[in-house]
Amino acid sequence: MAKINPAFGKELNKYGAVNFNACYNCGNCTAVCSLSTEDDSFPREMVRLSALGLEDDIKASLKPWECYYCGECSTHCPQEANPGELMMSLRRYLTGKYDWTGLSGLLYKSLPVSLAAFILTFVGVLAFVMSVGFELEKMVHFGHMFEMIAIGTVGLVILLPNVARMWYFTILKPKVNVSFTKYVKSMGELFIHMFTQKRALGCDDNQFRWFEHFILVIGYLSLLFTTVALDWFSSQNMFVIILGYVMSAIVFVVTVDFVSSRMKKQKEVSKHSQPSDIFFVVWLFLMGLTAFLVRLFIDINILEANKWLYVFHLTVLVQWALIIVPFGKWTHFLYRSFAMYFAKLKE
Amino acid sequence: MKKKKIGVYICHCGGNISDYVDVEKVRQSVEGEDIVFIAKTTMFACSDTNQRDMVDDIKANNLDGVIVASCSPKLHQLTFRNVSIRADLNKYTYVHANIREQASWAHSDNKMGATEKAIHLVKAAIAKARYADALETNKIKAKKAVAVIGAGVAGMKAAISLAEKNTEVILIEKEPFVGGRVAQWDSLSTTTETGKNMVKRLYSELTKHDNITILTNSEVIENKGSVGNISLKVKRTPRFIKASACHPDDLKRAIEVCPVEVPDEFNFRLSNRKAIYKNYPSEYPQIPVIDVKNCTRCGECEKVCKAVDFTEKEEILDVEVGSVLMATGFDSYTPEYGEFGYATSDNVITLPQFKRMIDTQFDKLTYNGKQIKNIAYIYCVGSRQTDGENTYCSRNCCTSTIHAAVTAKQKFADINNYHFNRGLRTYGKQEILYADSLRSGDIYLQSYEDGLPTVITEGKKTIVKINDILTNGREIEVEADLVVLVTGMVPRADNTIGSLFKIPKGRDKFYNEVHMKLRPVETVIDGITIAGACQGPKNIAESVNSALSAATKSYSILSKGELETDPLVATIDPEKCTWCGACEAACPFDAILKVEKDGKTIAEINNTVCKGCGMCAPVCDPDAVNLIACSSKEIMSMIDALV
Repeated sequence: MAKINPAFGKELNKYGAVNFNACYNCGNCTAVCSLSTEDDSFPREMVRLSALGLEDDIKASLKPWECYYCGECSTHCPQEANPGELMMSLRRYLTGKYDWTGLSGLLYKSLPVSLAAFILTFVGVLAFVMSVGFELEKMVHFGHMFEMIAIGTVGLVILLPNVARMWYFTILKPKVNVSFTKYVKSMGELFIHMFTQKRALGCDDNQFRWFEHFILVIGYLSLLFTTVALDWFSSQNMFVIILGYVMSAIVFVVTVDFVSSRMKKQKEVSKHSQPSDIFFVVWLFLMGLTAFLVRLFIDINILEANKWLYVFHLTVLVQWALIIVPFGKWTHFLYRSFAMYFAKLKE
Repeated sequence: MKKKKIGVYICHCGGNISDYVDVEKVRQSVEGEDIVFIAKTTMFACSDTNQRDMVDDIKANNLDGVIVASCSPKLHQLTFRNVSIRADLNKYTYVHANIREQASWAHSDNKMGATEKAIHLVKAAIAKARYADALETNKIKAKKAVAVIGAGVAGMKAAISLAEKNTEVILIEKEPFVGGRVAQWDSLSTTTETGKNMVKRLYSELTKHDNITILTNSEVIENKGSVGNISLKVKRTPRFIKASACHPDDLKRAIEVCPVEVPDEFNFRLSNRKAIYKNYPSEYPQIPVIDVKNCTRCGECEKVCKAVDFTEKEEILDVEVGSVLMATGFDSYTPEYGEFGYATSDNVITLPQFKRMIDTQFDKLTYNGKQIKNIAYIYCVGSRQTDGENTYCSRNCCTSTIHAAVTAKQKFADINNYHFNRGLRTYGKQEILYADSLRSGDIYLQSYEDGLPTVITEGKKTIVKINDILTNGREIEVEADLVVLVTGMVPRADNTIGSLFKIPKGRDKFYNEVHMKLRPVETVIDGITIAGACQGPKNIAESVNSALSAATKSYSILSKGELETDPLVATIDPEKCTWCGACEAACPFDAILKVEKDGKTIAEINNTVCKGCGMCAPVCDPDAVNLIACSSKEIMSMIDALV
């Protein structure tokens, strides 16, 4: 027995869903989707659940994460109901639902709140740098410390409980029976998808986009490793220095393409970009670029004269670590790979 | 009598005939017949080349008639009759033999037998051709006037169209007001004009034509004669209100003081009206009426309004017309007791009632004093029945419901629409309406006919449940403040007028046309055309379409002032006839009259009505009936050739 909730559509629209009510259930979207299978079919089913507002079913579903948004469904939709963007909105909605703090949902739904968060963190950074009298050494030292503490805290306090909630909604609550050995045996699935995103290759003509995304992930993770574990900004090791340059360059060069396609809005995937999508790629770009410049300024010895650059870099870093990673689009890195893991458990 | 000269053409039909029938052998076996002058085979008898050759043959050899042995006469009899006409022969001298459906196709397993049968069939045709006389069509004078019955949109539009062609029109309406069903609606789908405005526009057009006579409160009670000359008797019930002395304020008061209240059919019994009434302020004609069936003659209205006049008498008018156009409309289906909670649950109404509710309420939508927010529409109630008789689709209700739902949402706050359907048929441009409704957030739940939704009453709550096939058959329920049963169109319960004119009905019980595709507005009764929803469910546009074509058809029958009728009719031999009445009883067209001739009671055929069907011939004991072109002589000689 299920009760319809017509108000759900309005809620979903706040997460960026566009006109999905127009769906007349022809199923063209599901037919053209190269990832949908007979046993595991989408997106029509998700459009239907959304139209009826069957929230429990949506929360228990992993399907939104199984879609890699090639946009073919939206292109072929005779009703212009944008099933692709609906799947995207469901991912935003689910991110909001998985987050125990509720902040994700708040930031996704409201641009003013997001902007306020960005301004607040900027003010915080300013207050800090003033408190240390703009002393470069102290600022850089703090930056490094902040990175390590942020990774630990966000991971343990926000991300871990959220993944646990995702597990609860999708496995525990729907009473899926999974043996312990299956949990262990399927573990490989988690890491394969986390580091390769190989499912995205299943989308038609998606090799280039997958490759871009793949090297961006590798670049980003390596940059993170270089700055946090190898302390790139303070390192004297030539190998570490060059590694940092290469990785930060990869991050900002590749993101140029992502940012520009979000701006052009030509592809189906970027037509309905939400602020959260823009923030994600722009901040990633700024992270790479400012890190690259900071190290460059260190190497040509002009950072002392241009401390503002480091303040800028620190602001971007703090906003990234406190807003985008725990409550923004960064989480799709985790949810997508866990979704593939959970899907394997459900088989 | 001079011996006839006949041409015989045997068709291969590509190979349809010649693959099984040895056409050359057929040709050889008939060429020796005494009246056969030419016998040929041809690849395609219907081809232009062969038709030309036939014309040349007839002219060059002075043939008296031709026979084509080919496919069914339904397909090409007309083609070859026209060949005869082009060769200056009388078309009735042409005789057709069917050796495809009756020989080659029927006996494809037996080529010898098929050939044998084909030879017999052609020989029988030759035997008939021996006696096939040249016949002339009958001509009768026709009255250039049309009675249009029913003044809804179809009837009004047909009347205007006929009047524009200088035809006299008598528009007869049973109700006291014109407009029919359309007058009941304010908002109409896909156009911005209201139903009432549409009626107003049509009425003002009607009154511009002085060759249109509008008779309201009038019914046809007698029908005599036949196409071209139809005599009707029309009973006109008085309004009991003198138009000349009619002061609007007085009339308003007269309605106010009337103590009688009866359920208002115009409002589908949602409210009551008085015994002196108008359905809505601008109704046409703009004179109220006294409903004599319910009036108690208390005299209250007479006291306040001098236009009230109980001395008016019922009139019987004689109307002479050449054709009758029926536009008598439809009834809305009334659900059975308990069907989806109808009459057993407080919150269940029909679509027409709901439409009246939307039209008559403002600000807040209420029913039984309760505000309405969640509305469940159950589609196909009384249509597409698997258990009942109404197996047809009512065409208009999907669109009408969605339009009503969208209108309700626009007019009133916080409306949620839930459509429990069996597949939507918002065909053509109406699809836009469906898309609008989806975009506005209306929810559509679907089932097949074996899993219809159920309406459950739990205390004061009304719940509609369905196993929704669009959600993997999941059981889904909606708590509805109001359940609207989407009732379709059914034939008029009162079929007095249909029986009077003997209009045949189809399986759906609506009036039946001659041919669904090619003769869509004619009936088998000559001169009677049908328009609008009396023929089957139609929307306004479709009704008007059929009205315009029926008007054209009625006009084209009468336009020359003279009618030509087929000479293939029955004849009576007055010598043999003893009037037993058996032929009259057998005739499905009322074409046989009992007459006194030379002191003897005999049967007479009305040539304009007789279809030459032959039902009368076999029942005639003294063998006084002969069918022209199918006379005993012709048929017996054919049988001789066949056996």
